[in-house]
Amino acid sequence: MSDRIPEADLHAYIDGRLPAERAAEIARLLAQLPESAELVAAYAAQREALRSGFAPVAAEPLPARLNLQAMVAGRLAERRTRWRAAAAVVLAFLVGGAGGWALHGRLAGPPSELTLLAQEAIANHVVYAADRRRPTELGAEQREDLARWVSNRLKHTVAPPDMGPTGFHYMGGRLAATPQGPAGLFMYQDESGRRLSVFVLPMPHMADTAEHMVNVEGMDGCAWIDKGVGYTVVARVSRDELHGLAERVRQEFDSQT
Amino acid sequence: MTQGDGDPNLERALSGAAQPPGRDAPAPPSGTDVLARIEACIPALRRYAVALLRRRDEADDLVHDCLARALDKLHTRREEADIRAWLFTIMHNLFISQTRRRRSRPAPESLDDSHESNTGLRATQEDALLWRDLQRGLAMLPDDQRSVLLLISIEDLSYAEAAQVLGVPIGTVMSRLARAREKLREYTGQPGRPALRRVK
Repeated sequence: MSDRIPEADLHAYIDGRLPAERAAEIARLLAQLPESAELVAAYAAQREALRSGFAPVAAEPLPARLNLQAMVAGRLAERRTRWRAAAAVVLAFLVGGAGGWALHGRLAGPPSELTLLAQEAIANHVVYAADRRRPTELGAEQREDLARWVSNRLKHTVAPPDMGPTGFHYMGGRLAATPQGPAGLFMYQDESGRRLSVFVLPMPHMADTAEHMVNVEGMDGCAWIDKGVGYTVVARVSRDELHGLAERVRQEFDSQT
Repeated sequence: MTQGDGDPNLERALSGAAQPPGRDAPAPPSGTDVLARIEACIPALRRYAVALLRRRDEADDLVHDCLARALDKLHTRREEADIRAWLFTIMHNLFISQTRRRRSRPAPESLDDSHESNTGLRATQEDALLWRDLQRGLAMLPDDQRSVLLLISIEDLSYAEAAQVLGVPIGTVMSRLARAREKLREYTGQPGRPALRRVK
């Protein structure tokens, strides 16, 4: 092949990956090495033929099943279906009495209604916290408007908790849809850009529970039910820190009622 | 996207650009949100998958699986990681596990002719023949050499990025690239002057 130019440099030259001085040097050498020059020309032609040959593929309209937004929407809907299926299990368990209890015993971990609550909270957190520009419908400056709006829709008076002492400041909030009806989602961010969401869902027929950690696809939520309302705190932090944040949220909501 | 890749409504919805961020909201750390950035990569992922697998249906399956996996892993992605390299890595890993599965059943590699005629509009008969040769040559390359060649020649990944995507040292990337280019050149009989020295 080439006696005087290292092969790696030939390819880097063809791919435009060399610093300018080295590229100029290679060009000078090639002028004196016709065989290497021919090889470089062949590789470069091959590269160009591949690029132009496959370029039309990237210019085509995408098939419907590669529509990312539809995929995201489909996944949220699927989670809701799972919610409904799991809710049916809970119902069967309530109706099923002794048999239901046996089932309950086998399913160690948090009570199933908390798992359902946390799944919904985590699914919404994943979608909205990833939205760098507009994770909320109403921003921090419309705190009271949002509180009023969410309270009306939830038929339960609720305001975004003040997380100030934890380092998370309020960004805004939105309504989220769940199979159980609308939920409130309050979003916070700390100085390093980590996001925290506080998810509030009325669950009028559910008994109070203690706080439980629920893990959904690698993401932790701390969930509990208090006076017929389900709460979940979600953030990508350690479990200890998440417990601390949940404690703060709990105190804040206690002081609201 | 059913209406092509420039659907303005979708872009607006995904980038959240319809309304400016609130006064008190912190400035977004990056220009567009992560979903919009993933979306911008889909045409390139598809081009790579078609070039790699040759069959359109299989290629679209692979891209679909890749996007689904990316959505699964969205919250585990490091914010500073380059999204394009991240997506190509996911796709490469899926491709490898699919190929392993396929190895167990003997499937003769056949060229998808409908794909050949659909891919690329060639200006002349000779161009069309050259393109056909090139695709055949590409199909003859071992998978690992073909991946390197495509990621670098077509997708413009740097050697370091290709090494990261494929999970191999840069030296391996370089040697696979060299072998792929040389084999393809031999196969197509293409020296510097294609019309003069084409073997056919």
